[in-house]
Amino acid sequence: MSEKADKFAKLKNIKTPEISKNRQNASIEAAMLAFDIEAQKTAQKENSKNFQGNGLVHRLITIFNKNDRIFSMNKWIMDYKLPLGVAAVALIAFPVAWQLTSTSSLIGVKPDVILGEAKSKQELTSTSSNDVIGEAASNADFAPIQKQNLAKDTPAVTRFESDSVEGVSASPKMTRSLEMVALSPSPIPNLQDGDKFSDEAESSLFITAQNPVSTFSIDVDTASYSYVRRQLENGILPNSDAVRIEEMVNYFSYDYKTPQDENVPFSQSVEVYPTPWNEATRLLHIGIKGFMPEVSEIKPANLVFLIDSSGSMNAPDKLPLLIRSFTLLLNQLSENDTISIVAYAGSAGVVLEPTKANEKRKILKALESLNAGGSTAGGQGIELAYELAKEAKSKGSNNRVILATDGDFNVGLSSSEELKKFIEKKRDDGISLSVLGFGTGNYNDALMQTLAQNGNGNAYYIDNFKEAQKVLVEQVQGTLTTIAKDVKIQVEFNPNTVAEYRLVGYETRALKREDFNNDKVDAGDIGAGHTVTAIYEITPVGSSAISVDALRYTQEKPAVVSGNADEYAYLKLRYKLPDEDKSKLIELPISVNMAKDDIADISPEFRFGASVAAFGQKLKDSNYGNKISYEQIKALGQGAKGEDRFGYRAEFLSLVDLASSISGEK
Amino acid sequence: MDFYVLENKPLAEFDNETLVAKAINGDRAAFALLLRQNYILIYKIAYKWCGHKSDAEDITQDVCLKLASAIKHFDGKAKFTSWLYRVVLNSVKDMQRSSISRNKRHEAFAEINQKTALPEQEDIMFTLEIWQAVKKLPQKQCDAVLLVYAQELNHAEAAQIMNVKESTISWYIMEAKKNLKGIL
Repeated sequence: MSEKADKFAKLKNIKTPEISKNRQNASIEAAMLAFDIEAQKTAQKENSKNFQGNGLVHRLITIFNKNDRIFSMNKWIMDYKLPLGVAAVALIAFPVAWQLTSTSSLIGVKPDVILGEAKSKQELTSTSSNDVIGEAASNADFAPIQKQNLAKDTPAVTRFESDSVEGVSASPKMTRSLEMVALSPSPIPNLQDGDKFSDEAESSLFITAQNPVSTFSIDVDTASYSYVRRQLENGILPNSDAVRIEEMVNYFSYDYKTPQDENVPFSQSVEVYPTPWNEATRLLHIGIKGFMPEVSEIKPANLVFLIDSSGSMNAPDKLPLLIRSFTLLLNQLSENDTISIVAYAGSAGVVLEPTKANEKRKILKALESLNAGGSTAGGQGIELAYELAKEAKSKGSNNRVILATDGDFNVGLSSSEELKKFIEKKRDDGISLSVLGFGTGNYNDALMQTLAQNGNGNAYYIDNFKEAQKVLVEQVQGTLTTIAKDVKIQVEFNPNTVAEYRLVGYETRALKREDFNNDKVDAGDIGAGHTVTAIYEITPVGSSAISVDALRYTQEKPAVVSGNADEYAYLKLRYKLPDEDKSKLIELPISVNMAKDDIADISPEFRFGASVAAFGQKLKDSNYGNKISYEQIKALGQGAKGEDRFGYRAEFLSLVDLASSISGEK
Repeated sequence: MDFYVLENKPLAEFDNETLVAKAINGDRAAFALLLRQNYILIYKIAYKWCGHKSDAEDITQDVCLKLASAIKHFDGKAKFTSWLYRVVLNSVKDMQRSSISRNKRHEAFAEINQKTALPEQEDIMFTLEIWQAVKKLPQKQCDAVLLVYAQELNHAEAAQIMNVKESTISWYIMEAKKNLKGIL
């Protein structure tokens, strides 16, 4: 007997392997999010009675019906084990939906009021002084059914009303939706009405014989993907202007070959393969990966946080998320780095003079002291921020203003053009600008893009804590350290082999042919370890897909064969090293032999990129690529998830499902 | 931000019960600290029941998420850790029902084997054998044995966790020994 007991006693020798700190932090962050959601639910339950019987309940029901999927997904995650990424995304869906419904009406209210006192919010609306949002948004509760992109919802609304006539003995689904209504204090998530996007036509098709050269600036921004994700998670198909395909593709890091030599700060990989959405064409897929310097070689960072603390930032997914995001960033910095903080609202002010990044307490205290209130004096704030950046500049430091805002600047340098010029000038003084966008309802995407593109910087849209983690922790070096600037790509197509071509995305990044060699023309930057992808859809000569007929009266000149009939194109890439003004050139011929006949033969990294591009085109309702089904897109991405360490690719696949169910298309 | 401020205070200032009470009232800092304080315990329990690092991490995450909503159901009748044990064991059961983990099961304790010096390996293999045998026992006997021997709790504590009388724990363990007589 005792011998047996001894044997069991061996069990105490089981040693648990060390826990991974990252995993621990991630789990706790996720749980905190879940905790916040619970708190909101509780608060909302208490207030729900004020909103029942409101005629708007009908509309809400239709909206939440759309979101049913998200809620059931949430439950599903509780029941089964999923990678954190997916869990966090699903969890965020609820507060985001709720958030959307409350943002505009809560302008000017302190965060604690948001949870506790939702019932008094209608009175408080009038305390808003943010003239940018204007009447339309703050009265959205009672606005007639939404404008622009919610137009798609209208049929659903009508359908519900006829349902409700048929009988109040609701279906189980309806009952559940009603519960959702009870949890949601204020109606209609339509406030993306206030979000501004620039309207760019899709890159068009070119006939190689007439326009053999395509030139563009690279784009490492990812804001569009996060925005699209957020919209989908709210059960809304994004406005097609909000979809920038290159930003969606570039949201993901691809395992392209790593650059070997730091003097050539990046590598290029090219594949040519059949187009998933068109049998008769091919994709020419260019992947660039930036060099990742050793930690010891990273320059000290001189960062100025320029924080929008205006009234419109007063929402859990804005200022509080921003503060938590900066805290994450802070943890990545060391005593060599300097932080300053400028807040702008009403009047711009220095919240924290340049401080060593290891004085965390002091910095955190300054961050905590921020309160949302007042209007947005962005122009003044930005001047002040650049002054501080200049002050704290040291030899060899990486100087950067990080602007965090939900959108607008309405005092001082308020015209976009003026602001743009100011930032361009500062860029030449060696101070870059990164833009972090927060929230919806007031989000000025166009302005953010302009600012980042002209400030040698990058724009990110932070819709949740996980995104903050991606931008400010996992890819922090890419966000902060530029390894090459003014990176331009020029592709010359061979009319003997390529009849027509089209660049997928990059609409806002097109350059003139002559700009390529002009070092004065600004272009995008690549951060440490960044990957950038560009995809051309090419129509080979003799393909059935050639869309432009030959002319009847004018005999087109035969292309001049320069002896390279076995090449599709010639790729040229120009870049400047961060401290240099003269550009360098990389050239690479793309031979016909490189083409693969089966998409299954190419590396999963390229396949995944193709599936993201296909999804972008689908959402944008592209003239060229809208025929592919969501199912096909998913199948393409499914087999190409790769290592997917942080679950981003799995999340992408679930977004494809979501888009499919929202649109009712397979 | 309160989350980060609290973190800097010595942990000993707060006992679980105080933190739970605060968390139920919506104090997120208290909830965060509660998770941090108990994370390792949750992870250790999970690991000893499932024998696989990444499964244990998944379970731990699952438990953390569940606690966000479940915490308000903690009624203070039992010790918080006893209650927590129950939440973790339920989560382990859920996990073992799902097919995802089934594929991984055969590599139980693989981490240990790889990282250990040769002389210890035999001992570990023996421990593993016992553990595998215990895992095959009926659920309640298995839980009782692991609580008492792997977690080194006394019978009273195990009884509270399993919500049975102390004598029942002794009985489960006796049954377990009987069942394994031929094997061990």
